[in-house]
Amino acid sequence: MNHSEQLNLINETIDKTKDQLKPTSVNFIFWGILITVLSIIHFLFPEYVQRSQYSALLFWTIIPVIGIILTVIYNIKTRVRMGYETHLNRALKLVWGVFNIAWIALVVTSIFKRQNPVEDVLFLLGVVLLISALLIRFKPLIIGGGAVFVCSLILMTNSEINPMLINAIAAFAGLFIPGLSLYFSKSNV
Amino acid sequence: MFSPLDKLLTNPVRLMVMSVLVKVNICDFNYLKKITNSTQGNLSIQLKKLAENEYISISKSFENNYPKTRCTITKTGIAAFEKHFKALQSYQNLDL
Repeated sequence: MNHSEQLNLINETIDKTKDQLKPTSVNFIFWGILITVLSIIHFLFPEYVQRSQYSALLFWTIIPVIGIILTVIYNIKTRVRMGYETHLNRALKLVWGVFNIAWIALVVTSIFKRQNPVEDVLFLLGVVLLISALLIRFKPLIIGGGAVFVCSLILMTNSEINPMLINAIAAFAGLFIPGLSLYFSKSNV
Repeated sequence: MFSPLDKLLTNPVRLMVMSVLVKVNICDFNYLKKITNSTQGNLSIQLKKLAENEYISISKSFENNYPKTRCTITKTGIAAFEKHFKALQSYQNLDL
């Protein structure tokens, strides 16, 4: 092989090994739907969700933990099917892994502080969404991350508004819509 | 003066393997076999040569009773690939 053929071969091979963004988008869609539905249930039926001292905590930990287990299984299966893990996929995996731990820590510590964790969680979610958006260079996700930040600011400045309503809006605008547009986009890094 | 090409990387299969591994964190044997369009025997030999020169590291495990081979590029491998790539570019610039 001459040097030009070698260069072409390198470029072609690297191009074939694409960063698959569809599996990532499925995660956003799943969490967008799950958090929106949980928030709406909490907003509409607070008497059931907050029936006892720890019922809201159980509602907001057991279901999301099941969600985390399901998404981890899905992501492992996707990685096995693809046959490789790119550096970008690894970076996203680590960022969201740290977010999951921080999220659970925020929810648990909020009980001891006796305060609603929604605004802290939304702020954290906004940060992680923006990091992910910048990593994959996807505009709708940047806008989604911005929307989550705005929701977090609304909650910080307005104590009258129902946090569950804002949480539902943030999850829908920050996770579900960008996830859906990522799923149908043809972008591969 | 142009830096000499790395003889280990002038083989197409080995060059393709290194091109994939430079982009990914970890890669399965089956994916490398598919992308290099190579036979199992040939790919095993080429991977062994790369591993012997410490360009890649190979890990073997069992998943559902099936053997699983995974490859990762090493720091030596990345440095060698970058040097080879730069040398190729300098040769191409000479043509222009």
